[in-house]
Amino acid sequence: MSGWDGFLHGLSVALQPGVLIYCVLGVVLGTFVGVLPGIGAMATISLLLPITYYLSPEAALIMLAGVYYGSQYGGAVASILLRLPGTPQSAVTTLDGYPLAQQGRAGVALFTSMISSFLGSFFGIFVLILLSGVLSRAATAFGAADYAAMMLLGLVAASTIGAKHPAKGFAMVVLGLILGCVGTDVNSGEQRFTFGQTELMDGVNLVALAMGLFGVAEVIANIHVAERTGVPRRIALRELLPSRAELRRIPFPALRGASLGSFFGALPGTGSTISSFLAYAAERRISRHPERFGNGAIEGVAGPEAANNAAAISAFVPTLTLGIPGDPIMALMLGALVIHGVQPGPLMLAERPDMFWGLIASFGIGNLLLLVLNLPLIGIWVSMLRIPFRWLYPAILIFVCLGVYSVRGSSFDIFAVALIGAIGYALSLARFNPALLLLGFVLGPLIETNLRRALLISRGDPMVFLHRPIAAAFVLATAALLAMSLLQAIRRKSRGPDRVASVNGEAE
Amino acid sequence: MKHDIHDLASGILLAAIGLFVALYAAGHYDIGSLRRMGPGFFPAILGGVLAVLGLMIALPAWARAGHRGRIAWKEAGAVLAAILVFAAGLEPVGLVPVTLASVLIASIAAPDRRVGWRLALALGITVLSVVVFHFGLKMTVPLWPGQA
Repeated sequence: MSGWDGFLHGLSVALQPGVLIYCVLGVVLGTFVGVLPGIGAMATISLLLPITYYLSPEAALIMLAGVYYGSQYGGAVASILLRLPGTPQSAVTTLDGYPLAQQGRAGVALFTSMISSFLGSFFGIFVLILLSGVLSRAATAFGAADYAAMMLLGLVAASTIGAKHPAKGFAMVVLGLILGCVGTDVNSGEQRFTFGQTELMDGVNLVALAMGLFGVAEVIANIHVAERTGVPRRIALRELLPSRAELRRIPFPALRGASLGSFFGALPGTGSTISSFLAYAAERRISRHPERFGNGAIEGVAGPEAANNAAAISAFVPTLTLGIPGDPIMALMLGALVIHGVQPGPLMLAERPDMFWGLIASFGIGNLLLLVLNLPLIGIWVSMLRIPFRWLYPAILIFVCLGVYSVRGSSFDIFAVALIGAIGYALSLARFNPALLLLGFVLGPLIETNLRRALLISRGDPMVFLHRPIAAAFVLATAALLAMSLLQAIRRKSRGPDRVASVNGEAE
Repeated sequence: MKHDIHDLASGILLAAIGLFVALYAAGHYDIGSLRRMGPGFFPAILGGVLAVLGLMIALPAWARAGHRGRIAWKEAGAVLAAILVFAAGLEPVGLVPVTLASVLIASIAAPDRRVGWRLALALGITVLSVVVFHFGLKMTVPLWPGQA
């Protein structure tokens, strides 16, 4: 089934009332948590994981994806109105969105971000349809060595690109890989690192890990921060309308941002946060008025917002066609699919067309819904910023506990969440990125299996990773990335003491 | 003499974890060969890599000043205590009392000294969680003491 037919088939899946309702639920919830600083898509998706046990895999995936791209729409609201990014992806929107708001043009900034998000998403959907067909055909040529090498590249890229401390990022990835080893070894049946605990035989519980790292640790870190948000001004509908001159400045930056975003989103290891920063830098570079940037340039809102939404969609390309998540959120999505017994990969397009095309069609429906919901109802979302965080976080905690308990009715898992939450908070204090730990955790078993298989086939000859052209390309790219980040570290050292951490380094 | 305590401590801790994992894997599980890897092979290598990375984080941190963020002791204490109470109490005393207690404990961390909103919040969240998890998702969990 190709392109258009597939999309139509997907529409027939995604428009079923039993599925559509979860799409709506996902995007509304996503906007809500995106608007609120203090809870992000990561925490919300972890929170929803146990609830997806009660849904069909299609509905579950569509809902979780809706939360993700919905949060990208909402994230801009707090960025523009309060200079407080609702999500890391919208951090760069503060640079020009907030100055616009201060000049009384908050409505125009919000309109720009919403419409650019919409354009970016649809661009991403087209790229997704185009690329996934090509890639899932090419993926049949992928062997175990190629998969292992590609995942290695993804992990190295995620921990080095745009990071201030690659060693710290890589340490998180390796720690995650080690955690992924806990439990029964698939090949030998041996219990690894269970220390006699029967609860650990199935491995560390993904739900408990994600909820502890993102739900609990973020709550602890944000109780104080999120209370100091301040109260935004009300926005009248009329204020949303840009002038004709302003309107003309949206489409091209949005298109450029969307192409950047869908490219970097589809690459393993570079996600929507990085592409929003790249889009901003690109817009400033090609602008004839670079001095406008930072003082309320429409282009500085349109480009990044289109980029991060396009990237959020195209990030599904490697996840769905190769079964390899490129960023931590995709790792959670993959985890959700595996919970439902669905193994994404090259065969998914052929074997589960309902799920594949249903998801893609739901992107279209969801983004249309978001635009229709968010522009007229912007006032409601803005007033959400008045909800004090102290009303929300106890509810989040109770839902974390009950959610993790509901997976297998075990109080052990709730204790585990407390422990993981404490570790997660300590990690964020020491400026480690727990999202990378999760990425390593999900990819760990996949890498180990493919590595073992590759070396079994090659009879123990490690040169297999250089003889196969696909694997060799990934290995060379990995080596180049490592060399680059080493060079950067040396250059930084010779330049003197570290400056204060940039927004970019902390963002992902 | 200034040190980046955060990086120094976390680097050493990570190196120790890595060393432990490598040694434990090498000592307890079959390493095998490149051709037929045993269950110990992958973790042993990962442990070694983590140990090296830990040192790479810790060593430069000795010679540079760090920034110290505020540690939210009260928030961390209240949140973790609330979860522990919930974990310990859910099965013996049931959903309703344990939710009330946990919300009240968690709300200690909030920067609002008044009491009324805490009680209202505890009641509201309890009703919500009973409706969603007991009636909605039909989770098998006791609501009151003595129902386990």
